[in-house]
Amino acid sequence: MRMSTAISTVFLALAMLLALGAAAKTNDGKNSTTPANTTANGSTASATTVANSSTQDENLHLEGERRFRSNCGRCHVAPPKFPSRMMATIVRHMRVRATITDADMRLILRYMTE
Amino acid sequence: MICSSMSWPRKVAQAGLLGLVLLISAAVLAQDANQVQDQDLDINLKPIPVLTGYTSYFTRVTAGQYQDTPGVTPLLLVPVGDRWLLEGRGSYSDSFSKDSTGNYTGRNSYGLGYAQVDYITKYVTVTAGRFITPFNIYGERLSPSWIRALQVTPLTSPLTSGAALGGMLRGGFPANDKINLTYAFYFSANNTHHLLATDRSTGGRVGFFLPGPRVELGASFQQVLQADRAHAAGGYFVWQPNRVPLSLRSELVRSSGTKGGAYWIESAYRLNQISALRRLELVGRGEQFFAASNLSPVTIKKLGALGKDTQEGDFGLNYYFRSDVRASASYGRQFVLGNNANLWTIGMTWRFVMPLGPSGNKL
Repeated sequence: MRMSTAISTVFLALAMLLALGAAAKTNDGKNSTTPANTTANGSTASATTVANSSTQDENLHLEGERRFRSNCGRCHVAPPKFPSRMMATIVRHMRVRATITDADMRLILRYMTE
Repeated sequence: MICSSMSWPRKVAQAGLLGLVLLISAAVLAQDANQVQDQDLDINLKPIPVLTGYTSYFTRVTAGQYQDTPGVTPLLLVPVGDRWLLEGRGSYSDSFSKDSTGNYTGRNSYGLGYAQVDYITKYVTVTAGRFITPFNIYGERLSPSWIRALQVTPLTSPLTSGAALGGMLRGGFPANDKINLTYAFYFSANNTHHLLATDRSTGGRVGFFLPGPRVELGASFQQVLQADRAHAAGGYFVWQPNRVPLSLRSELVRSSGTKGGAYWIESAYRLNQISALRRLELVGRGEQFFAASNLSPVTIKKLGALGKDTQEGDFGLNYYFRSDVRASASYGRQFVLGNNANLWTIGMTWRFVMPLGPSGNKL
């Protein structure tokens, strides 16, 4: 009985250390983040921004479609795209029902309302 | 004896606490990778209430007994603000069957599948109310008639408490680039209302989803805290290969007490590659039920189908007229000592979705 309690306590302590370590790492990451595009200016910069935006939209579209197929297809056939505000409700429901991650939900919602 | 009965809940509590701490640490580790994406993916859509659900009509012939069952299962979704969701699912069905005199008699039934309030945050969803027990995946995700590949319920279903009344923590987050971790832990109170009956129980589920190879696997646990204090453990597996329109699913349940254990393996193959048959899906399922050992004859009689070892094989066809309208037919053969039976099913399902407000505005 004492041995099992000791083992459980050690495991809990290790897990808490892991959690603290992870939290410390996250804070470091936040502190070291620098603002992006602080030197961008002029027409060249804006053209680059438009091109980057278009590429990013395409990437998000493809990623959204991929996550839609991998997440929603786990259980049922792919539904059609419903009007956007209905889609927002349905995706919220499915996030709870199928424990979809926050990022997957956002990508799927973006894809389904394009 | 007292010592062992006291230490069991403590072990469960310790395991739960350990699991929660590990989950939190994994969630914190995952935060950095997601921060940039969140800004890119902000969509300002105001969700509206939606009425969805499905209707179905099935004719079943079980061991020579005909039964027609039309039914409707509405689901109301009411989002509130950015984080809240109220959801309730009811059901109503009629069953027409032929009695011993050859006349058809009808019996209706209705119920409340779930009525829950969800508070959704990035890593945790807090749920309160009546909800489906998070044990494996069939009850929560695959059981609606418009989703299930075969209409015959698998033999694992009666082995655990299917509904709960209480609270639940659940969610999913990326553990790294290749693995999503999902979890659900709940506590349920005892309720003896004839429509809303639940057991006092606790349990949970932890799963891993690999979006790349489209593999999902996980484990579940349930501890009933009343009557015989039975517990159950289970596992599940889903694989959908990227190159083939195949779904392979399986569940395993083992319970203590008098309920025994069971497993099922199901495959569904959509004939996408043949243009004339692209709407057709072929389904097969094999399953086995193992009755608890050392059951007395009285207990076996009381348990009915759960009192004897059972093997079952089912084969079915699903035809998708559209993504929301499907015709299904299946044949199964159940092998029980001295009581083999044929199981025929044919019918249709329609999944409906209706807005309860202006549906298309982007705000």
